[in-house]
Amino acid sequence: MSQRPTNDFERIFEELVRDEMTRRHLIRRGAAGALSLSAIAYLAACGETGGGKEESKVIPKGQLSKTLYVANWPLYIDSKNPNKGTLGKFKKKYGASVKYVEEINDNDQFFGKVRQQYDRGSSGGRDLHVVTDWMAGRMQRLGYVQKLDKSQLPNVQKNLLDKLRHPSFDRNRDYTAPWQGIQAGIIYRKDKVKRTPKSVNDIFDPDYKGKTTMLTEMRDTVGLVMLGMGEDPETFSGVDPALKAIDKIDKAAKSGQVRRFTGNEYTKDITKGDSWLIYGWSGDAIQLQADNPNIDFVQPDEGWIYSNDNMQVPVGAPHAFTGEKFIDFVYRPEVQAPIAAYVNYVTPVKGVKEILEKQDPELASSQLIFPSGETLKRAKIFRDLKPDEERKVNEAFQKVIGA
Amino acid sequence: MEAVQRRKGLLPYLLLAPGLGWLLVFFAIPLGYMAYESLKAGTIDTGFSFSWEFSNYTHAISTYKEQFVRSFEYAGLATLLSLVIGYPLAYVIAFRGGKWRNALLLAVILPFFVTYLIRTLSWETILDDESWVVDTLKAAGLVSNDGRVLDTTASVVAGITYNFLPFMILPLYASLERIDHRLLEAAYDLYGKRRAVFTRVTLPLSMPGVVAGVLLTFIPAAGDFVNATLLGTPRQAMIGNVIQSRFQVIADYPSAAALSFILMGLILVLVLAWARFAGTESLMGSEPR
Repeated sequence: MSQRPTNDFERIFEELVRDEMTRRHLIRRGAAGALSLSAIAYLAACGETGGGKEESKVIPKGQLSKTLYVANWPLYIDSKNPNKGTLGKFKKKYGASVKYVEEINDNDQFFGKVRQQYDRGSSGGRDLHVVTDWMAGRMQRLGYVQKLDKSQLPNVQKNLLDKLRHPSFDRNRDYTAPWQGIQAGIIYRKDKVKRTPKSVNDIFDPDYKGKTTMLTEMRDTVGLVMLGMGEDPETFSGVDPALKAIDKIDKAAKSGQVRRFTGNEYTKDITKGDSWLIYGWSGDAIQLQADNPNIDFVQPDEGWIYSNDNMQVPVGAPHAFTGEKFIDFVYRPEVQAPIAAYVNYVTPVKGVKEILEKQDPELASSQLIFPSGETLKRAKIFRDLKPDEERKVNEAFQKVIGA
Repeated sequence: MEAVQRRKGLLPYLLLAPGLGWLLVFFAIPLGYMAYESLKAGTIDTGFSFSWEFSNYTHAISTYKEQFVRSFEYAGLATLLSLVIGYPLAYVIAFRGGKWRNALLLAVILPFFVTYLIRTLSWETILDDESWVVDTLKAAGLVSNDGRVLDTTASVVAGITYNFLPFMILPLYASLERIDHRLLEAAYDLYGKRRAVFTRVTLPLSMPGVVAGVLLTFIPAAGDFVNATLLGTPRQAMIGNVIQSRFQVIADYPSAAALSFILMGLILVLVLAWARFAGTESLMGSEPR
């Protein structure tokens, strides 16, 4: 696919927004998505959407290839040099040189980019891509990904966290394996708030009027507000609880309590003091803390939202079999450890903590990076929405956040 | 004889061909495709199919009236501000600029060597709640003590004004600079006061610049969404933001296409009304010399 005309624009923008702190969702959905000025030109390039493909087949056993194309989010692995770090080890073991492309900044944007190719049954050369739970569910519904052969994934079978084994969008992990987990909770400025926040509802405290922001990632924001209303985002039925939460968010936005809705750009606001208490992601908070000890992350009493980015093998992937090998490879604890140590998100692989305890005890003891089983019980995975539910909720939410 | 005549008749068309071809491929066809897209029904999961779905249009208007109105308000305000700021500036450069004229013009354009996004992002930083600019404004009593500048209607309109100002200044300058000084001398010779000379000679002669500047500023400003995204909040969302989100986030391509058409139609109506009001002669720049 030819490059979009705004690519330069977006790149410059991203480089500007990406301070060294930000790892992966530099602009999960916010500005970069908003700034693809080519929407109209882009519209013209849209074909019909097929939807509803035939049942996808299990990836057949094959030969290891010489190359492997992995599409991932920026700053989400220790090194993208195929001869160094994790990729270097993979090359040594399996002989495949990994072309690691940081081409995903935003789930929706990535979907827009690959939709036509995947719809034609072509992966555009990609062997693996990494998308968030709900997008992984959509990819699967549309028949855009291949079924994994579990017999090729012994390490995944053995080491995947129990909490993640049966997500609602992929009951048996037939199509996905988590890459890293993200916790959405409260980030706050110790020097600005009157007391340490404990509840997700602290964001509605009138004292913080105009000094709060929420995430443009619908599931994170709506899920957190739902928790504050006594609803369980993991199991709620129908869309009413979500719509009620959106109503509450709408009022807070209209009254000016919530200043704005952001992707990863909130890091700038909170660093500068434009916001004091926000909904944000743990990995960012850990990195921001390094520069500003007044910034901290809280796992609220009511619970918080836990989501994962997942590896999938798209249809028509030229090296699907090698892709499976890669998935299994990163589920070896000794391979995962350096990745986990680098990215500061929640690793989905058991046994990593034990390895890091020897190397970096402080890191290994962090409940934000290695939440215990007890802690994880309070982390909620937003339930999979059916297509029409997703449309309703998304539409209502987009209206509130200004579109 | 006939053959020569025919060839002569063909020549203008041949000369037009590249331009027409360009328009066809990069304007007419995409536009037609978009019109086709805007009349489809369906969702991203079931697929979209063509069904003369005119309700996309009515639904879009009724749902997003607020953002349409806001877009035109902001664009109108920004255009007016640009005119008020740009006219005196263009006037000074054209009549008093002297040898500095080119340098001054360059200074007008210079910031625009940096991309649009980065300039807007810079404003985001300059107007931070704890920036010295805001502190100064607070000290001067222009902003209330618990108030802010960033993420308000004022910051969005100011951002749009700033970003499109050169599109106002340059045509204004071009038309002011063309004015025959002998006409002004004649006016003074006839005992015209400065004010009368300006309102009865200079201003009418600069109308082509005003008309062009207003169009060049208003049209892109109405479709802008970058300023509302970076300098505003959901309460400042413009129609561009809606189109972007319908298209990219909700993946509802038909309604995004319908919204684009409505925006285009509204702008066209406003432009035609403006052209009628201002007169097409001034638009074409064929003012009496």
